[in-house]
Amino acid sequence: MSTTTPNSSPSLSHPPKPGGNWQRKLSGFIQPLVLLLPSGVWLLLLLVFPTLLILELSLVPGYRLGQVAGDYGLGNYLDILQSTYLQVIGRSIFFALGTTVLCLLLGFPVAYWIAVMAPKQWRNLLLVGFVLPLWTSSLLRAYAWITILRNSGLLNLLLRSIGLPGQSWLNDTPAVFIGMTYGFLPYMVLILYASLEKLDKRLLEAAADLGANPFQSFWKVTVPQTLPGIAAGGLLVFITSVGDFVVPELLGGASSMTMSRLIYNQFLGATRNWGFGSALSMVMILAVSIAIAFLLRYGDRDSNLT
Amino acid sequence: MPPRNVRRNRMRSIFQASSTRRRFMLGSATALSSVLLANCTRNLRGTDATAESPAAENPTTDEGTSAAAGDPGTLHIYTWSSYVDDELLQAFEAETGIRPIVDIYDSNEVMLARMQAGGGNAYSIIYPSDYMVTEMIDMEMLTELDKSRLNGLSDLKAQWQSPVYDPDNTHSVPYVWGTTGLIYDPELVGEEISEWDYLWQNRDRLNRQITLLNDVRETKGAALKYLGYSYNSTDPDEIEEAFNALMELRPAVANFLTNGWEDQLASGDLQVAMAYSVDALSLIDEYPNLVYVVPREGSSVWTDTMVIPNTAPNVDAAYEWINFMLDSDNSAELVERLKFSTPLESAFNKLPNDLKADTDLFPPNEILENCEGIAPIPQDALELYDRYWTQLTS
Repeated sequence: MSTTTPNSSPSLSHPPKPGGNWQRKLSGFIQPLVLLLPSGVWLLLLLVFPTLLILELSLVPGYRLGQVAGDYGLGNYLDILQSTYLQVIGRSIFFALGTTVLCLLLGFPVAYWIAVMAPKQWRNLLLVGFVLPLWTSSLLRAYAWITILRNSGLLNLLLRSIGLPGQSWLNDTPAVFIGMTYGFLPYMVLILYASLEKLDKRLLEAAADLGANPFQSFWKVTVPQTLPGIAAGGLLVFITSVGDFVVPELLGGASSMTMSRLIYNQFLGATRNWGFGSALSMVMILAVSIAIAFLLRYGDRDSNLT
Repeated sequence: MPPRNVRRNRMRSIFQASSTRRRFMLGSATALSSVLLANCTRNLRGTDATAESPAAENPTTDEGTSAAAGDPGTLHIYTWSSYVDDELLQAFEAETGIRPIVDIYDSNEVMLARMQAGGGNAYSIIYPSDYMVTEMIDMEMLTELDKSRLNGLSDLKAQWQSPVYDPDNTHSVPYVWGTTGLIYDPELVGEEISEWDYLWQNRDRLNRQITLLNDVRETKGAALKYLGYSYNSTDPDEIEEAFNALMELRPAVANFLTNGWEDQLASGDLQVAMAYSVDALSLIDEYPNLVYVVPREGSSVWTDTMVIPNTAPNVDAAYEWINFMLDSDNSAELVERLKFSTPLESAFNKLPNDLKADTDLFPPNEILENCEGIAPIPQDALELYDRYWTQLTS
């Protein structure tokens, strides 16, 4: 990670190149093309092509593998509009939004502490320590939470030992938030760390000099500087958690069907309705794309203003 | 001009962040898929270098399939996690010189999807359940068995001589059977459970302390049996009635889980769990205070079979495997080790008396009479099941 301070070098904007001969133009065109080729092929084969395949399947109502396909139509998409499925989509978004907010609230202080306050020689170690849980499988982590959250589990044992009544945590919405926040917090911390590390502390000093209280300088200096990090971290957590179904299913109880589980059921459940499953997948891809578009646009505007 | 630089830097941090993100998304995706979606490839046999059957060294002449798949010295098996163990694989290799390699799946649908997508061309033996055998026969995915090459089919108990899912066993050989039922701790519950009805009678007291299987057909089937209908009902009115009954029961349901209830049941956080007999019995092995029961109204009896897919590369080895499994000594040993029920008469006779008398493994006939196998049902009924299921779990 680069450690250059923001204003160590004056802005080096290249002067526009004079229009050279056509050969230079051509090589200027080919060079980036060659450089982009590997990732381009990768994207084409593993992203664009499969997505188009899903798009095609989603347009065949009731498509099932191994059966004669019917005509194209929008039936699968119309099916999604039933209240049962809308409720499932709503729940997925609710879980993901809640997780994002919790990750931000918990992740910001941690990232701030590691990036700004912790001794420099400890930073990398602290960061690795924080990311370490990611090395275990998410399924294992969900099972670990079952042991902690169940009625006779560790959490209630702890609560009772200090005289508080135990709660029924497991198989309910709070358990989903606990499990998902735990799972996705490292992503948030990593990204916030990357943007807090480059925080220009002189601006904070200047703010203090000019009479801002700590809250004001946090809100008016620190937060605006890390806004792109907050947006990127929030988006990453949102996207990954909207697609999670391990945690909701294992910790969330009887009423925790999420969109990913619904899609899974369409592909690998009893109905094997690949058409409907593909339509659901397309809706999810679209929703995530829109979220990313918002981020890009927001970032762009931010840099063009003034 | 500091503000300008700050802005530039902010942009850079977005890009740095996104590259981190991509890396981690990839990481999490592989972790997830390897745990859940993919069929954990597991070579149970390990890699000790004793596999020097002469054929293994010869270059293979197969085209199309990979070298490993076409190798007559190896047999690729695609099965459920609880149906093979190292001892069995070693015994098979010692006897035949063929090296078995095992891959695992956790649902019939996962297996079917992989076979249909062409990802299962290496397998010579698969273990589909009853209803899946019918479907795979209908899709012409299975080899018709040459019975002159099989020994011991006559040893099958009468119920499995000509099962409904594959009359006369033309394409499949029954290997294991079991039931679906309830597992509970009688001391904790305070009484004996013998019926599905118990759950509905005590639903207020059981508040969020039971789990049902995360499987439409099984859980719906249980509700249908409770109401006195068939496990395989296709009547929309009966299906709706069963859905309403399950909605009534839902406040008592902690979660719909096929696996993952075990610890909670053993620790007393759950009172009752609906489970497959194999899973229940292996838990009872560890916690003898638990009891398994097949409800009196009837439940499902399932059979898992051995089949040879059309695409099987090494058919000779597949027949050897089936014959090996039909051997009563081998089968009886497996029942003792892995706790499932065998359809072979002579294997049953070779079991120690306590296992023979074990009504969990071999329920009495008056209970089995009320049980049904899960049968394939038409697509529109399946869709109805699925729509209600989504509502139930939402």
